[in-house]
Amino acid sequence: MTAVGETKSGVSIWRCAKCRTGCFPQRLLCARCHGDTFEPDRVHEAVVEEVSVIRHMLGQTDWQPRRIANVRTSEGLRFTVGLTDESGPGAAIELLEQGTAPLGRAKP
Amino acid sequence: MHTDAAIIGVGQSAYTRRPQGGQSTLTFIRDAVVAALADAAIDARDIDGMAVASFSLAPDAAVDLAWKLGLSLRWLIQDTNGGSSAMNMLGHAVRAVESGAASAILVTGGDATGLGGYAKVAANFNTVTQLHLAPLGHGGPNGVYALVTSRQMKKYGLEKSDYGHIAIAQRAWAAHNPYAVYREPMTMADYLAAPMVADPLSRYDCVPVVAGAQAIVVTHPDRCPRGRAPVRVRAHRASFNYDNQEGDGLETGISTFATELWQAAGVRPGDIDVASIYDDYPTMVLAQANDLGLIEGNDLARFARRDIGEQRFPLNTWGGMLSAGQPGGPAGGLNGISEAVLQLQHRAGSRQVTNARLAVATGYGMTMYRYGGTAAAAVLERVE
Repeated sequence: MTAVGETKSGVSIWRCAKCRTGCFPQRLLCARCHGDTFEPDRVHEAVVEEVSVIRHMLGQTDWQPRRIANVRTSEGLRFTVGLTDESGPGAAIELLEQGTAPLGRAKP
Repeated sequence: MHTDAAIIGVGQSAYTRRPQGGQSTLTFIRDAVVAALADAAIDARDIDGMAVASFSLAPDAAVDLAWKLGLSLRWLIQDTNGGSSAMNMLGHAVRAVESGAASAILVTGGDATGLGGYAKVAANFNTVTQLHLAPLGHGGPNGVYALVTSRQMKKYGLEKSDYGHIAIAQRAWAAHNPYAVYREPMTMADYLAAPMVADPLSRYDCVPVVAGAQAIVVTHPDRCPRGRAPVRVRAHRASFNYDNQEGDGLETGISTFATELWQAAGVRPGDIDVASIYDDYPTMVLAQANDLGLIEGNDLARFARRDIGEQRFPLNTWGGMLSAGQPGGPAGGLNGISEAVLQLQHRAGSRQVTNARLAVATGYGMTMYRYGGTAAAAVLERVE
């Protein structure tokens, strides 16, 4: 329940080679055109839509609250990130990736 | 309209927050099956079909359960659709009886993960959760539906207390259900003072996980015990992966079939006497009720404050999972179906809705990523 691995700029997405639609998480066929070939791409910015603070975790006794958010990219992709700062709804953030975990923080 | 199959009996095990030594998913399911067979007044040797759903049956499968129950069958399925499994299984069972594939079917579900086991289920729900949510410490479904709740509050102008009306009304119903794990009255002050779990969800917004099981018997209506009304399915519909997780989650898969469901049933939302709406979170009760057309003018706030808060509309009359407990998603869905059956058979005791004739029940589940991806519903009717 903790992101591990190298932290990279941006979040990996997959772009349909046929219709160019981006998707996250990865799919087998494109939901738009059912193309079966994807090219790796990265998104670097998003806007925070909703935020929650996870204050309790089943089975954890020394849990430290952490923030998650639903974010939206400029092309309309929506996904869930871990926020590493106090960014709130409406904030433009930069996206990061640690292992397979999408993260976000205020743009510098 | 399904006229040659009906639910004739229901049964459940005890529910407990913390299973004890010797108790397991299998023993809870056994207890529910024994209770359902007794309630339906049907011999185990007459059961020739079974449907089962559970998050914690593995490494056993449906046929292992049949073996351990001593049931030799000609029809058997195992459903993996979580909170809509029960409703799915009901649809399959009704069609199987009508087609002659089986004549008497046990539909059952249960779980006994314990709280630690449930945490493991939540963190490993699917590969997307393992890869992209659990590493964030997302809190399982609580975190997911916290974000959905915030969206719903923003879109419909809801206040935190609006969700409280659902939790409080269901707690009042639970006082009349001896199986419910939480039966003491709850006030709005109690609700609002509860500790926050995942903002804006506090303790009473989050379904309490219990160990337990449910079972129902589906067979030909003429096998119903004398003096009891069989309950038939006027219409049944289901939806899976309705929007590829690209929406806001405030409409469920029910929105894809609601019009067709009511047309097939030949009744309108306003005709419904009692409703069992899958209630893992109050947010999703409102979303499903709205999709079904039970909320006039899509005014979720008025529905919560007036229809539920003033107890004008009988919703989740066994207390719902929010008060009675959620014995895993699959059996949780069976709970709502069973309650609808008891209400329509006029066997709900002190929580009986007067002259209940028509019910709607739903299932919703499989939180694939940002919200649930499966949904199903049925209109149920008392056969006079």
